[in-house]
Amino acid sequence: MADVDMKPTEEKKTEETKEEEKPKKVPLTPAAEIKLNATLIERAVSTFEPRFTHRVLRTLTSLKKKLDAGALRNATEEIYPADSQTRQQLLALFPPASTDLSMEIDTPPSKPATVEPVPETEVYFRLLLIHHLLASPSTYGKAMEISKQTVEKIQILNRRTMDPLAAKVWYALERSYELGGELADARPMFLAAQRTASLRHDDETQASLINRLLRSYLQYNLYDQADKLVSKTTFPLSAGNPQFARYHYYLGRIKAVQLNYTAAHTNIQQAIRRAPPATTAPGFYQAIHKLSVVVELLMGDIPERGLFRHPVLEKALTGYFEIVKAVRSGSLSQFQTTLSAHQAQFEADKTHTLIVRLRQNVIKTGIRRLSLSYSRISLRDICVKLHLDSEEDAEYIVGKAIRDGVIEGRIIHEKGWMECGGQKGGYGPEVIDVFNRRISYCLELHNQSVKAMRYPLNAHRKELAAADSAREREKELAKELAEGGGDFDSDEPGLGEGF
Amino acid sequence: MSTDLGQLYQELIRSFTARPTDLKKCGLLLNQLKIGLIGAGLLVPQPDANPVDLATAREILEIGAFWSIRSKDIPSFDRYFSQLQTFYNDFSSVLPPSPREFPIRGLYLIRLLTQNRIADFHITLESLPLPADSLTSNPFISHPINLERWLMEGSYSKVWNAREEAPAEEYKYFVDEIMGTIRNEIASCEETAYESLPLKDAGTLLFFKTQSELVQFAQKRGWQVDLTGGAIRFAKKGEDKAEIPRQKLIAANLQYARELEQIV
Repeated sequence: MADVDMKPTEEKKTEETKEEEKPKKVPLTPAAEIKLNATLIERAVSTFEPRFTHRVLRTLTSLKKKLDAGALRNATEEIYPADSQTRQQLLALFPPASTDLSMEIDTPPSKPATVEPVPETEVYFRLLLIHHLLASPSTYGKAMEISKQTVEKIQILNRRTMDPLAAKVWYALERSYELGGELADARPMFLAAQRTASLRHDDETQASLINRLLRSYLQYNLYDQADKLVSKTTFPLSAGNPQFARYHYYLGRIKAVQLNYTAAHTNIQQAIRRAPPATTAPGFYQAIHKLSVVVELLMGDIPERGLFRHPVLEKALTGYFEIVKAVRSGSLSQFQTTLSAHQAQFEADKTHTLIVRLRQNVIKTGIRRLSLSYSRISLRDICVKLHLDSEEDAEYIVGKAIRDGVIEGRIIHEKGWMECGGQKGGYGPEVIDVFNRRISYCLELHNQSVKAMRYPLNAHRKELAAADSAREREKELAKELAEGGGDFDSDEPGLGEGF
Repeated sequence: MSTDLGQLYQELIRSFTARPTDLKKCGLLLNQLKIGLIGAGLLVPQPDANPVDLATAREILEIGAFWSIRSKDIPSFDRYFSQLQTFYNDFSSVLPPSPREFPIRGLYLIRLLTQNRIADFHITLESLPLPADSLTSNPFISHPINLERWLMEGSYSKVWNAREEAPAEEYKYFVDEIMGTIRNEIASCEETAYESLPLKDAGTLLFFKTQSELVQFAQKRGWQVDLTGGAIRFAKKGEDKAEIPRQKLIAANLQYARELEQIV
């Protein structure tokens, strides 16, 4: 019981120190921040609390930007004891620092480290180094080499406390291979590591690796293989939100290519909901919305106009906005010109083939508009209004639209016109389906948001401890009652007799 | 590669390019060659194989794919195609590009269309190693792409007209199958879109040349043919009986109750 009680107080202490550190954090130099993170990792390893490691990794994005070789060198020299072998190895890896930075190293006189830090710290340093090397194209090769070494090291060490870091290292490895243009070569490595990770129940790494693999498949348009991977693996439920967002995005892409637009739409919604806010990750936010707009159009819906006025999206989505306008008005010629005008952008976004499929939706919208505005229209006029090639085509197309339930009506072949029937009553068995769909959407939304919440791992222990102490108190109370109320008991039989 | 395998290969090329092609002999040769390829470890290529041998193996499989279509053995074509995919996708950097690659890929796309496997069609299309703008300039690929687009739109007459524009001889083998698919599509459209149709027009709409073909087709679909009036009547589908799907409703309501209970 004692050590359960200890934990919460200890946690509180760290929270306090964190609070103290916060105001100082703003002017913190990168080197100091790295050092702070190293101590956090140390603590994570000694207490088996992945929380601290996660806290370290959260700062990675911002730290990455202000990182330089001098800071890395400085931090290493202070954290590792002078005679450490790892120190030598790490220092050898770092690119030479410029002179003004080495000046800075001399200034802060701190006590020299004597204890060899945990291997997690080394991996963290390597991770930082890889990110630093990825900042400039000339060092991609070196980044690739180091990331490969690091991964091998992680696999040899095989420590569970390393898992969150390992997941990040795999990301860095993929990034370096992708930037180096050799992503396909890394695939066997990912596949092997994914198997190992799933055997070791290393959820974090597994989630990261599944995403790595999906990305590499989709990069090379191997939708078939990506689909098979998805069907053969289960994405770990405990994975972090960023990984989930990516996973859903890739799933959305696969499903959209397979023409399964409804499923794609659900996945994309999930990804949008789980994605970080638009300002922190604008790239992902834009990419996912591009896909979302196209899929919504393919489903026959028109995206909300407000979306295109979003400050982050406005510029990125201009081409898509034009397409939406063309589809909405049902004008084939406008659609074609927009498509060719923005072709380069769509190809870069890999949405071109999806947008080309919209052609039939444009025609359908056009026919629906005609059927709403006319009670009878000749095939010749349809042909002219929709810019179709021949009357014959128009007849087939209208016939198909009637069969697919896009419009209500009949074709009178002898007279060469289409008669549009009244609109559906709007009440029928399909109402149940629509209602059902909406309700299940809401319920799904609720369930997913509950699942997306994150709790500290050992928070329930606190409650347990509280419950335990409450039970203890109850016991004491009962004991006191039993002791104090002894004479009550003796009275009772007498009472019973009287009644 | 052993010499007798080489001899067989030469013989295959000779008999395949001869007109008219002796399909039976090609089939026999192909069987022998495939056994030979397995013996040489080339049917499922290994990364360290000799590129020249690989190119030969690829050619044998390509001839096999064409042969399967000419002898109308579609499952066999599928097998050849899946074997060829390794050569096309994974060895593209080692091997020189094959002139037959895109005809075969295009044929596979058409084959997917005839089976109405539109999802697979799009997946295959996405995985083509071509930039999007050259998709339309490659005749072997643009043909199936156009066919798919017209089929989806409903411009069936364009599909009909395109049957003569096939970029390779083998494409025509699939025309009949596609026409069958289209006729069924058109027929199902007509059933809902028309009340009645003159026989002559129905014939042209369905691309039938003679009336007897049309009557046969109409009987198969259960249409009422009025020969004296010269018209086809489509049985009007009665208004769907509005039946309340009890079980579905109960299941849905129970589901809501369960979910709501979880929330509260």
